[in-house]
Amino acid sequence: MSELLRQQFELGYTYTRSTGPVVGRFLTELRRRRIVGTRGDDGRVYVPPMEFDPVTATALTEFVEVGDHGEVVSWCWITEPRESHPFDKPFAWALVRLDGADVPMVHAVCAEQEEMRTGMRVQARWVEEPRGYITDIACFEPEIQGGAA
Amino acid sequence: MQYAAVTGIGQTHYKARRGDVSIAGLVREAAQNALDDAGLGWDDIEAVIIGKAPDMFEGVIMPEVYLADALGCNGKPMLRVHTAGSVGGSTALVAASHVQSGSFRRVLTVTFEKQSESNAMWALSNPQPFSPHLNAGAGGYFAPIMREYMRRSGAPWDTGIKVAVKDRLHGARNPLNHLQMPEITMKEVEESPMLWDPIRFLESCPSSDGACAMVIADEALARAGPRPPVWIRGGAMRSEPTMYAGRDEANPQAGRDCAADVYSQAGISNPRKELDCAEVYVPFSWYEPMWLENLGFAEQGEGWKLTMEGATSLDEGGDIPWNCSGGVLSSNPIGASGMIRFAESARQVRGDAGDHQVDGARMALGHAYGGGAQFYAMWIVSSDQA
Repeated sequence: MSELLRQQFELGYTYTRSTGPVVGRFLTELRRRRIVGTRGDDGRVYVPPMEFDPVTATALTEFVEVGDHGEVVSWCWITEPRESHPFDKPFAWALVRLDGADVPMVHAVCAEQEEMRTGMRVQARWVEEPRGYITDIACFEPEIQGGAA
Repeated sequence: MQYAAVTGIGQTHYKARRGDVSIAGLVREAAQNALDDAGLGWDDIEAVIIGKAPDMFEGVIMPEVYLADALGCNGKPMLRVHTAGSVGGSTALVAASHVQSGSFRRVLTVTFEKQSESNAMWALSNPQPFSPHLNAGAGGYFAPIMREYMRRSGAPWDTGIKVAVKDRLHGARNPLNHLQMPEITMKEVEESPMLWDPIRFLESCPSSDGACAMVIADEALARAGPRPPVWIRGGAMRSEPTMYAGRDEANPQAGRDCAADVYSQAGISNPRKELDCAEVYVPFSWYEPMWLENLGFAEQGEGWKLTMEGATSLDEGGDIPWNCSGGVLSSNPIGASGMIRFAESARQVRGDAGDHQVDGARMALGHAYGGGAQFYAMWIVSSDQA
């Protein structure tokens, strides 16, 4: 009698990616601990920046610097971080709207669970040596009172 | 069926590497050039039809999702076409059918590849369980098929070398091309490394970054545009399985059927006489004589004679120039390569092909093939509406 065989195999290749002038500028500015977005046709500031206006399709070229403090728009608590999570202790994935931006971006918030709430003020915690990665912002953490930029 | 015409053509320069732009920026450049050529803005487009080679090539899964804003798809239908290497041709045909059906009046169609960021060579031949890994790439797959063509036709050994030289000399007339080799010689091609016997390095296509786009519109909008309309007189696609007993891989039935269909739609009985030029997918030199036969430009076993006589050469004053643009042998952004053939055939009948223009061209063939030479897409375009 024949056996119906199954076998696992791995498939993987190496690739390259070019950021282009818009995302490239965003990442380069992170090295200087600055966060920039682009201004859309309707005046809204997108962070991270978009290359093309999501409504009109215009190529967006006006860069706007925004603050590294902002507000939690929504969040999800990670009770038991797994190996591939960025932190060993519980944290939140959150949508953070930076001061001066009109849309939120997703990032991590390091805080106590009791502190987490929609509308909470947060500020970026930068790594020692930023190199142009989104992880140059290690995480956001509760804003230190009176410390807003 | 409604009349449909090409009203805008846009291409990027084809290069080994476009490190200055993202994939979205690259695709956008061709699309914007096509809109500019047609004198249109993003709001004038009703639907967007996009194509590229398999996702595994660049490793961007469903790139159409990521490209929606770059291509102004907000609030519009967007459709992705997948037919491997022939995708550039079949994407154009799907776009044309949107207009021919009467459902849309004006659509944008775009194709691209960014080979410098991809792994197209090896992602073409994935390993499978229970089998040794073939790891052949396209050249390794097609080489024995070309060898079989050489055996059955008795073609001279240097026919492929002649094609490689001819297409690069054509290509040197086209500033968009990746390869610019105006001084290329038969000897130089002959002495280039043998990659997959019988194909040498210079008998193979390059790996290019680039994108190509067209605007296709109905009769009234086409007549109102700033450019002479390029009328789509026929369009056909065929496919067949990669392998089956008795399959003629050197002269596939699907290619012959596709050609017969597109010629019949355009009222063509003798393609060599009735067409002024052709843009045919020739990624490896020997595919020119093979396709000359498959597409009915020559009798079986005689295709190489047209090549060797110079019939397909612009420089030698041939009666049926093939790949005046330089062809896939001069630029190969895979997903776009088929659409470049279609677009270049349109440029010829519009009379704006620059230094590679065929004088007075009125009717041209655009051709693409893909997969294991199993998917075919062809169109006939003309400066005459009927």
